[in-house]
Amino acid sequence: MTPKERVARCLARKPHDRVPMFDWYWMETERDYLRQINDPRIAPEFRTPGEDERHLPPRGIGLTIWEYFGFDLMQVGWPDQRLRMIDPVIVQQSDDWVTLRDGNDATLRWWKHKMGTPEHLGFGIDSPEKWRAVRHLLTPSADRIRWTEFTPKYQRARASDLFVCYAGVEIIESVKDLLGHEQMLKAMLKQPDWLHDVFDAYTRFLISMFELAEAEGLRCDGAFIYGDMAYKNGPFMSPRHYREFVFPYHKRLFDQFHKRDMPVIFHSDGDIRLVLEDLIAAGVDMINPMESRAGMTVRELASKYGRRLGFCGNIDVTVLTTNDHDAIRDELRAKMQAAMPYHGYMYHSDHSIPPGVTLETYRWLLEEVRRLGRYE
Amino acid sequence: MGILEEIAACVLAGDEVKTPMHVRQALADRVPARRVLDDGLLAGMNEVGRRFREGEYFIPEVLIAAEAMKAAMTILRPALTEQGVAALATAAIGTVRGDLHDIGKNLVSIMLEGAGFDVVDLGVDVTAETFIDACRRQKIDLVAMSALLTTTMPEMEIAIKSLREALKPCPPIIIGGAPVTQAYAERIGADGYGRDAATGAEVARKLCRM
Repeated sequence: MTPKERVARCLARKPHDRVPMFDWYWMETERDYLRQINDPRIAPEFRTPGEDERHLPPRGIGLTIWEYFGFDLMQVGWPDQRLRMIDPVIVQQSDDWVTLRDGNDATLRWWKHKMGTPEHLGFGIDSPEKWRAVRHLLTPSADRIRWTEFTPKYQRARASDLFVCYAGVEIIESVKDLLGHEQMLKAMLKQPDWLHDVFDAYTRFLISMFELAEAEGLRCDGAFIYGDMAYKNGPFMSPRHYREFVFPYHKRLFDQFHKRDMPVIFHSDGDIRLVLEDLIAAGVDMINPMESRAGMTVRELASKYGRRLGFCGNIDVTVLTTNDHDAIRDELRAKMQAAMPYHGYMYHSDHSIPPGVTLETYRWLLEEVRRLGRYE
Repeated sequence: MGILEEIAACVLAGDEVKTPMHVRQALADRVPARRVLDDGLLAGMNEVGRRFREGEYFIPEVLIAAEAMKAAMTILRPALTEQGVAALATAAIGTVRGDLHDIGKNLVSIMLEGAGFDVVDLGVDVTAETFIDACRRQKIDLVAMSALLTTTMPEMEIAIKSLREALKPCPPIIIGGAPVTQAYAERIGADGYGRDAATGAEVARKLCRM
């Protein structure tokens, strides 16, 4: 069975030969693994804002870490959604961090040498009037996709029969970069018309960018859409507000994928159980990454939703960082045994592989997933 | 409905226009500032915290309630000063060294203020030394630490150890954040753990006997 067939059947919850595999890493982990692997063909996926990329191999030309580990899935697309595609302005910096004003007129403080959510220092678009003045800048265009990276990735993925996902974000993830979480969430109650207008504009933009990518040759098998909308105690907003403000735009975006028979994998950190029914109704076929620390567990969810929803992830990174093979095997067994009978489980950690998981453990883990994940 | 109940209801509804208006009215009616604070604004925020803990309120409702309280405090604060009303306790809060996340920490600040604390916000990427300096510069009754990342969580243990070594007596310390658990809090010697912002404020009140 080819990787493409394997993932497609998994997403359709039909029998396949083994559990498909995919993963993400913290930047520090990826850099550490690549240093140890020492294969100059592999380019790191992650670049931090403000990082000097000249000494790094360009993305797309060599191999991805996913291809190196033999995963079943490739992501392409990732359209640039800033209002202005300009180099960010350095406001202030130290050896460790840099404060940048970006193309959304947002001022954020980032670490220079490690990954992480930035500190939110200010958002220039803070009123409907300012939004109306810049709305026209959100124009779809071909130069919003990194073709030099994604064309070779796409071609290699096709040559290797990988399952190719169109990857990008949805409105919560887009608009938090423009307005910040606090302003966006407050607007649900205080300025609903404005927020609907912003969400509508971004949904149109995201759909147009997908159509443009497709017209330019990125014909994908599925969609992998990122939209963190929860934290460890639940969704940011109530289910009622999800239905009112987010659901219509999710559905509109996901419908575009379904029209082309592309199943949707939806990523949100945190505990999304309160809105799972709504996400399924909006068109989500599989959820990722299912954070254990937020109470998400496939052992509970598979029996409840396993016939209607796939699961990608849930392997607890806190167990992985112990590097205790017995404990990791128990974790894999418990989660995989619960999910595999429904034929809709894809391996992924429950967030990103953190520093501390040794390369030796990680290689062993992947072999163990291949062994435990066999259906035949 | 009396004016104090009116104030509490306006906080609960996140009404940043009517809340200060009613506070102004209460002060004009010679209601003592302490009662306006305790039985009006803080009563409202207390109910916001309860609803948040019990899953009736979500982050948007908490944010707008905090805005209503903040707007009202601009009216009330001069009266509190004039009448010699001090905060019941002062908390210093920060996200630990190596971590730039501020949203969770800001929510806890909101809830601590709503629980009657004066809050000294030390910001993000806060070193143990900064926590110690803050406690030496003014009377701090409680230290609250936040971390979002598994990679920065160990900084809490370092900061707690440093605080306990440097300050005798050391104010109670509470911790919270996405990767933090009650078991972890106990293991590193924190005095309390808040699984969410509202619970954190409740634990803080208990530790400060408020």
